[in-house]
Amino acid sequence: MYELRGIRKVFAGGEAALDGVSLAVGRGEHVAFVGPSGAGKTTLFRILNLTLRPTAGTLVLDGRDVAGLSDAELRRARTRIGTIYQRQNLVGRLRVVHNVLAGNLGRWSTATALASLVRPRGAEEAARALEQVGMPEKLWARTDELSGGQQQRVAIARVLVQNPDVILADEPVSSVDPSLAVTIVSLLRDLSHERRKTLLMNLHSVELALAYFPRIVGIRDGRIHFDLAPARVTRELLAELYAGHRDDELQLERLQDGTRPFGGACRPLPGFAE
Amino acid sequence: MARPAPARPARAFPLWAGAGFAALLVWSWHGTGVDPAALFGPEGLGQIAAYVRKLFPPDLSAHALRDAASGAVETFAISLIGSLLSVGIAAPLSLLATRTLLYRGILFEGRPPGPGARARRVALYAAGKATLRVLRTIPEIVWALIFVFMVGLGPFPGVLALGFHTGGVLGKLFGEVLEDVDPAPLEALQATGATRFQVLVYGVLPQALPQFVSYTLYRWEVNIRAAAMMGFVGAGGLGQRIHVAISLFHEHQLLTLILAIYLIVTLVDALSAYLRARLV
Repeated sequence: MYELRGIRKVFAGGEAALDGVSLAVGRGEHVAFVGPSGAGKTTLFRILNLTLRPTAGTLVLDGRDVAGLSDAELRRARTRIGTIYQRQNLVGRLRVVHNVLAGNLGRWSTATALASLVRPRGAEEAARALEQVGMPEKLWARTDELSGGQQQRVAIARVLVQNPDVILADEPVSSVDPSLAVTIVSLLRDLSHERRKTLLMNLHSVELALAYFPRIVGIRDGRIHFDLAPARVTRELLAELYAGHRDDELQLERLQDGTRPFGGACRPLPGFAE
Repeated sequence: MARPAPARPARAFPLWAGAGFAALLVWSWHGTGVDPAALFGPEGLGQIAAYVRKLFPPDLSAHALRDAASGAVETFAISLIGSLLSVGIAAPLSLLATRTLLYRGILFEGRPPGPGARARRVALYAAGKATLRVLRTIPEIVWALIFVFMVGLGPFPGVLALGFHTGGVLGKLFGEVLEDVDPAPLEALQATGATRFQVLVYGVLPQALPQFVSYTLYRWEVNIRAAAMMGFVGAGGLGQRIHVAISLFHEHQLLTLILAIYLIVTLVDALSAYLRARLV
């Protein structure tokens, strides 16, 4: 699916956000990315969804170097990648139905897109997607009247309508309460599994990452720190990954105590005291 | 561990700039010949009182009322159609005056335009900005003079004059609104494979429209006053009748006309407040 070689990104006037990231992700694989905030995970996802161009390095998507794509090819490639953001990134003043149907924009002509704003095209499709995320009654609500967790589910419904080959979820549960977090992560995992989609997720919670993903990539200071199966992610590796980031170190201490904020929803964690 | 207190940032408005501004004020005061004595001295106040006495009572004859009413309707119509025309001019030009739609910002991080394309787009932006600046630098009244020459006397040159000047003002304001919308939803729309035009329609405009409406209503309130003046150069409405009344010393009629302006200004303010409450 993805092949990254020496990806580097330097923002104007700043240090390198990513510094030589090389990684391969196969079709249908589920991968969680963990690491302290500011490590470059969001930047990596913006490069993976082709809305940010790396300063150096090669990004190959299904055997094609994306640097060589034309404008139209780039848009077509983007339709195959669905993104869920930490802040839901919806248009608050539009109704939920339009935000969900925006998943179709890459397929729609300009005329269809305009007409749909007047008379939603395929409202049943949007309703089905909302049903899958458990809020069919919100189809005609104004998006900015929904809570953060509801908006996050609207964003997932948009990705369902888009029906991409890859789902990128950038900290999709950092703004929702723990029980909803488990629901959303398992929903995304199950949907991706059923439909054979590749799923890449940035997670602030190591516990969720270890419990739901068969492959964990740790990122620190713009570099890959480890890339392992959860059973081989040791306490020492995590301590190194988060060294100097006080909040995250507390998270690790709680894990070692056996206190699990996500409760029984998560399987026991390998390598940690029960 | 005690950290040193952060250094105080430099003043945003240094002392020398304050001194310069004060000098500018004094110089302008002299340059405009401000003389409170002439206004508030016994002679000045006497003149004002005498003129106000001459205005009363307003001329309420059927003829004067009909004249004021038709003038008021014409002025209202000029302001309304002129404001609509200004939106028609401002909306397309403001798209050119928006850098974030042409060559920089979040929509171009995935694929920055090449040097040739970028130069063309910067030129397009500069041309859009320059056109808007020309439109709004020329005052309504000067536009009215120009259009009276071109299309003759009457309300039509007034409509064109308001449309051109206000188009320049609104175009600048619209452009600033478009550049200021929250970029996060635009990034998400672009990530679905949407074209820039689709991002404009689904992400930028829904965020910008309330402010577009608000600015337009405000300019309509300004335009009703401007429309009342337009007649001084022959572009119809109440102004034309006021000009005649002042020139012929018809003071009672003048007061009727001033009251008519007061009425329609109040009416437009109320209408505008109603629409703002409903739409914004």
